[in-house]
Amino acid sequence: MTQTKKPALTPLSPSLRANVQAVNARFGGSSDLVVRLFRSDAAPERELGLLYLEGLVNTDVINESLLAPLMSMKLPPHMERKSDRLVEALRTSVVSIGGMKEAAALEEGLQQLTDGWCLIFIDGSTVALMAAVGGTKERAIGIPQTQTVIRGPQRGFVEELGTNISLIRRIIRTPDLHVQTHKIGTQTHSNVAVMHLHGVADQSIVKEVYRRLAAIDLDGILESGYIEEYIQDETFTMFPTLLNSERPDAVAAGLLEGRVAILVDGTPIALVAPTTFFSFFQSPEDYYQRFDIASFVRTIRYAAYVMSMLLPALYIAVTTFHQEMLPTTLLISLAAQREGVPFPGLVEALLMEMTFEVLREAGLRMPRAIGPAISIVGALVLGQSAVQAGIVSAGMVIVVSFTAISNFVMPENNMAATSRVIRFGIMIMAGMLGFFGIFISVLFVLAHLASLRSFGVPYMSPIAPGAKNSGLWRDVFVRAPWWSIMLRPLDMKLRNPRRQSSGRKPPAQRH
Amino acid sequence: MQQQQQFGKYQLAILIIVFLIGSTPLFELGITAKQDAWIAMLVAAAAGLLLTVIYLTIHKRAPNAGLGDLYKYHFGRYIGGFAAMVHALWLSYESMRNVRDVGELTTMALLNFTPKWVVMLLILAVAAYTASKGVEVLARIIQLLFPVVLFSYFLVILLVFFSGLVKVNQLLPMMENGPMPILKAAFPNLLAFPFGQMVVFLVLFGHVSEKKSISKVTYWSQIGVSLFLVFMNALILCVLGPELADLTTLPLLHVVQLVRLANFLERLDVVVTLLLFIGLFVKIATLYIASILMVSEVTGWSYRTLVFPIGALIYAASFLEPNYTYHNWIGLDITLKIVPIFQIGLPLLMLAVGIRKKYRAAALGGAQST
Repeated sequence: MTQTKKPALTPLSPSLRANVQAVNARFGGSSDLVVRLFRSDAAPERELGLLYLEGLVNTDVINESLLAPLMSMKLPPHMERKSDRLVEALRTSVVSIGGMKEAAALEEGLQQLTDGWCLIFIDGSTVALMAAVGGTKERAIGIPQTQTVIRGPQRGFVEELGTNISLIRRIIRTPDLHVQTHKIGTQTHSNVAVMHLHGVADQSIVKEVYRRLAAIDLDGILESGYIEEYIQDETFTMFPTLLNSERPDAVAAGLLEGRVAILVDGTPIALVAPTTFFSFFQSPEDYYQRFDIASFVRTIRYAAYVMSMLLPALYIAVTTFHQEMLPTTLLISLAAQREGVPFPGLVEALLMEMTFEVLREAGLRMPRAIGPAISIVGALVLGQSAVQAGIVSAGMVIVVSFTAISNFVMPENNMAATSRVIRFGIMIMAGMLGFFGIFISVLFVLAHLASLRSFGVPYMSPIAPGAKNSGLWRDVFVRAPWWSIMLRPLDMKLRNPRRQSSGRKPPAQRH
Repeated sequence: MQQQQQFGKYQLAILIIVFLIGSTPLFELGITAKQDAWIAMLVAAAAGLLLTVIYLTIHKRAPNAGLGDLYKYHFGRYIGGFAAMVHALWLSYESMRNVRDVGELTTMALLNFTPKWVVMLLILAVAAYTASKGVEVLARIIQLLFPVVLFSYFLVILLVFFSGLVKVNQLLPMMENGPMPILKAAFPNLLAFPFGQMVVFLVLFGHVSEKKSISKVTYWSQIGVSLFLVFMNALILCVLGPELADLTTLPLLHVVQLVRLANFLERLDVVVTLLLFIGLFVKIATLYIASILMVSEVTGWSYRTLVFPIGALIYAASFLEPNYTYHNWIGLDITLKIVPIFQIGLPLLMLAVGIRKKYRAAALGGAQST
């Protein structure tokens, strides 16, 4: 429990009726609170009360493992009279459920009730028993929707935290994988699990994650985005400093590299920290594919990212300020296209980019059933007709389309979104100051990137500050063969920087 | 005082390399020595290395001190403080000269109708942003720019060679008029710019985390970059010849415009312009930050509060000169006369005086704390 303000605890009363009433009162007589009073064969003079919230528990489990044994239990005669021993006896020898706890205060019990546990009050005892009987229907584990790969596991996280943790445990089967769950949100009491690989991850980073999580005092955590905004190093930046992933294999890879994973109940998106700029360009598939292909694709990704940020700005700068840069034939054909266009290059570009952003947002938000409409509107009406009507030039449509496509190359959606926003700023600068404007904007972005940190790790490492060990460069711009990647990427901080021993290159076979 | 920001030895090397390259290869320095300009450059580079020896000797006396502290340690609180303030102002002035260069070159070459104040304000804004983040970020951003600089020069050199423009006999006859023209070109002009500018690193050495490697890294990177500058100087001479190189404002731009390969690689002007801007930006930002650090050391005011005032000062000062001719005249005639005071005079004086007794403990104490 990591709340800063702990509410005062109310001790339980020895009277069963008083306890049940107190619970009922706290829930305001909610209709989903089920109260079942019964007597046991063994101690017929004592009344027992079973409480749970309907829908949060598995009723089959309650009936078979809880109610049935409780009602028909037989106890040695010396045990029945003393209430504390009765509780002990129930716990040790009657109830056949794994998760059992005792509660001495009303609030503990209430908390567990909302977590899908059931509460057993025993008349005359000031201690209540709590049993884990949760088990609600959840979405089945499915294919990750946001990060697709061709080769690689097709399992994605779901909304339930326990399942998500188990998905990672099924990949990293070692007791060194430590999980700590925090309850965050003064009203939602959402479970937030912090995972790290003990002996690999830097303990100070793990502690820092705990510290930052403990400082959160919001009433509700509905998604990991809430957590992200609280624990990132720098709020006023467009660049994400935590990696988001809905793929268990990607999170497991992060853990193996010594990073810390933060999983939030209720969302399939996990956070991984610390992270660097370059990890946003690494798709899990890079590691499953052949290294040469993966390196090629990764290079393309970097190029596409730069394109998606700069291409419209370059087009504006060249057509408005630096026409002499173009080969004469291209210049003539561009000028001919732009002949009938009524707007200056900047306005034309902003118009088209805005149109595309609207189309994109519409494609995301509108109901699936009217999906095909968007392609008709987008491609035919806004693209072709706009050119035919002479509102925009064909060259601009090509530029905008290529920019849009480049943006979809990014494996991480939040990094792609950054370039979409920055692009507009650079476009305006290019429209006013040409290449000089682009140069200034890029310098600004670079200076900003150089100043960022993610949990103390410089965002641009291992480029700036440059890594001392060249082994750390084998997984940045290219992906070297697996046997040569000896080191974990976050150089200075790890407790155990080596992934494997050297000299693992497979020997050449001679025939 | 704010927490000491630090950077590593490789970052120091890159900082020295990019700072000394600056915008230097774009100009044909020492052209008064005609075809021997490159020899003048070589001589000046050797002398520059000697200056660096002096700087490093002074630095080693108080490994954690900046230049402001060094002045205080050597000349006492008041005289030293005064000298440090004057030197800090000088650094701002040099930064301002580069700001003005950006303004002039941009309005001349790229944007003829844009007012200069916009251009200068923008480049200074980026420099101020970098400065507000501190030395560490300066080192990192230069590290990010380094590959671009490296690749661009590599590309330019490669293309110049491939297009068969290099005629080595342009460098002949060597020393036609004896060694005097060479020495005249080298001293003080070439020594003052670029090699003597190394004095600014006395401000930055204190921020290097690996103290032991400072000398080695500094010597090697300076030797490397000096040879590169000499090479570029000779390259321009080989392509343009001494007469043409003397006439053009930006000889490297001219060289690149001559490159014609496969009807495709023809417009490399943009690469040169980019190099020019990167070089000038690095100089602006480094000198600006050095100036802030010095003032902060002397006055005890915090680094952050000084970013804006000094930036404003640099910006205001960049309007003092009425036009480019005047700017050039001040730069070539006045500035180069004053600069040896800071680059040679004061350091030599420091070397001779030695650290005053009162401060010996402070100088060494600083060293032990790391």
